[in-house]
Amino acid sequence: MADLEIKDLHVRIEEREILRGVDLEINRGEIHALMGPNGSGKSTLANTLLGHPAYEVTQGSIVFKGEDLTEAEPHDRAKAGLFLAFQYPVSIPGVSVANFLRMAINAKRDGAGGDPINVKEFRTQLQHAIELLDVDKAFTSRHLNDGFSGGEKKRAEILQMAMLKPDVAILDETDSGLDIDALRTVAEGVQKLHDEQGLGALIITHYQRILHYVQPQFVHILMDGRMVLEGGVELVERLEREGYDQIRQEVAAAAGASGV
Amino acid sequence: MTRSARRLLPQPVPAVSEPGEGTSNGAATNGAAPVVVKPGRHREATLYHALAGAGAGGKRTLAELREAALRAYEELELPVWRRSGFWSTSVQTLDLDALETSVTEDGVPDVVTRTLPGAARAGRIVQSAGAVVHVELEEALAERGVILCSLEQAFEQHRELASEWFCKRLPIDRHKLEAANAALWTGGVFLYVPQGVVVEEPFEIVYAIDRPGVAQYGRTLVVGGATSEFRVHEYDVAEDFTGQALHANAFELYLQDGARCRLAQFQDWGQGEVYDVSTRFVGVGRDAYCHWLPALLGGHLVRQHLELAVMEKGGDMAFRGVFFAEQHEHLDVFAVDLHETGPSGGDVHWRGTATGESRASFEGLIKIDPGAQQTHTYLQIHTMMLSPKARVDAIPSVLVSADDVSASHGGTVGELDETAIFYMQTRGLDRAAAVRVIVEGFFEPLIAELQDEALEQLVRERIERKLAAARADIEAYATSR
Repeated sequence: MADLEIKDLHVRIEEREILRGVDLEINRGEIHALMGPNGSGKSTLANTLLGHPAYEVTQGSIVFKGEDLTEAEPHDRAKAGLFLAFQYPVSIPGVSVANFLRMAINAKRDGAGGDPINVKEFRTQLQHAIELLDVDKAFTSRHLNDGFSGGEKKRAEILQMAMLKPDVAILDETDSGLDIDALRTVAEGVQKLHDEQGLGALIITHYQRILHYVQPQFVHILMDGRMVLEGGVELVERLEREGYDQIRQEVAAAAGASGV
Repeated sequence: MTRSARRLLPQPVPAVSEPGEGTSNGAATNGAAPVVVKPGRHREATLYHALAGAGAGGKRTLAELREAALRAYEELELPVWRRSGFWSTSVQTLDLDALETSVTEDGVPDVVTRTLPGAARAGRIVQSAGAVVHVELEEALAERGVILCSLEQAFEQHRELASEWFCKRLPIDRHKLEAANAALWTGGVFLYVPQGVVVEEPFEIVYAIDRPGVAQYGRTLVVGGATSEFRVHEYDVAEDFTGQALHANAFELYLQDGARCRLAQFQDWGQGEVYDVSTRFVGVGRDAYCHWLPALLGGHLVRQHLELAVMEKGGDMAFRGVFFAEQHEHLDVFAVDLHETGPSGGDVHWRGTATGESRASFEGLIKIDPGAQQTHTYLQIHTMMLSPKARVDAIPSVLVSADDVSASHGGTVGELDETAIFYMQTRGLDRAAAVRVIVEGFFEPLIAELQDEALEQLVRERIERKLAAARADIEAYATSR
């Protein structure tokens, strides 16, 4: 049984069905890429996996490490070891990055029946994460995402991921709007966390760019709320050559041929 | 701004002429086109007449002031403040005749020792009901001429000094409770920091009510000599009792040339039916500076009339404020940023919220007098809606009578951001914790300005406690939207 098992997932938002039967399995230590055109349901999947209240699961299940999380509260999913890096990280004025990280770590430890992290241990971990991700130390005393540039926000997401050590992280178009330097930092960060901590990741992206810096083992293509193609990294190259339209036509043709 | 205005609208700022001045020369350089207004028909006109003005002091002795105030007290009814038909603050539910002014010295109430931080201080004076029950002052400061004593004692031992400043700018008869205070006050606080004396630790002024049935008439006079530097922390606290009590305060603080003062107030009257009707005036002298931050965190009915006035050239000030109303509390703040001469600087920044079925109104006025040229000031008020039945109003206004100034105001009305809550939940914080982070973050920019760790911590804890108490209410509001 895989660590994260998504089975026949149907999701609607405001009476509109966005996901129409998604199956996906992700294990710790695996890097998956999820690609698809705009409106295919990529962000819906990301938000649904973390339990965003606006998305209603009408069918199917999300099981993580043997625990059914389909109806769980978002914070319980986080405590279980899931993480979502936001496409548009939210600013939290009045709370420094470091303080927020400490709160989040303690919430997680508290959930596991542990004591709050001690100051020294926290500093050590923070220092390590800072070096790993090549961010400025002053960064951690700024208010979270408040007045951050696009690139800084995405780095802050990866920094949180490094500190919270999830088993599986979902990165929702983390690459969008980044210049090449920021993109490289983010991608290398994910790769390092994968190599060092055995992070499993689902990298959701509209483009191929980020996949030049972090190598997925599995590639999934989502269209109209369904997984239409799955394979290895060669799919990325094919997509680069042919584009979504070509693939869409083939899928339609195949569906027609099989009489679906 | 009312709750119907979601998220934030930077407010355009009409420059409003003074009543009687006609319409042509309101010229705040705030970037907005001048707005033509009819004189005398605006809320501001009423506000203008409500200002403290010259003060009742002058040549009258204390006995004469008390006598005049007593006559006013006997003639006046309990006050009602009305504004524009949709807001009124009425003290008429107070059974004033049933209250007593007790001058028995029965020690420092528990609520004081329980609430106040044990941090280092320059001195502390505690008034319980009508009596000063505790005075302490660092010996080294006393040797340098610092005076901290009851105001009664000041009138005995430092008569000239006390008389010079007493009621310099405070009137005694605008309403019944102001008159009652001026006529009947006992105890009181006098703090004098002589020229050039710099004190790092705060002077603590405490007004405490430990039982119902008390009418406490607080009276504070603080004078900072030229180039002195000091902090004043006032605490207004009460036991959680059942029944009515009154705190009517008249507070005045004057800063002489080049003096600098950080003035903070922690007010939480607890669960009793405490009425607080107070007037506070801070006068900033030549090149002096005051940072003033009231944290108004509780009381059955609280009416605060606050004026921060730059009285002489080069004066500068930061007027901050935090408020949090809960349950059935009623809070009415009128805060004035007054510039009597220029060049002068001002910066007003308040933040507040309300839970339960409470009502909170913040009315902020920038007033620039004729001749106060080269005044630069800004007023901002931010509120956050947390509860379906609470109401917060924020009404900024500007009265400008000089033409070489900049004066403007702005503000926001915020609600809990569900996206921010979800964001924090995905990091493992539960919903209540996420709400707390947002609200604390909302207040944090001002709390941090207290620059006193113990006091900051006290304010943070009190806000956290109020949020926890209102948790169900906040949840209901969030999910109803």
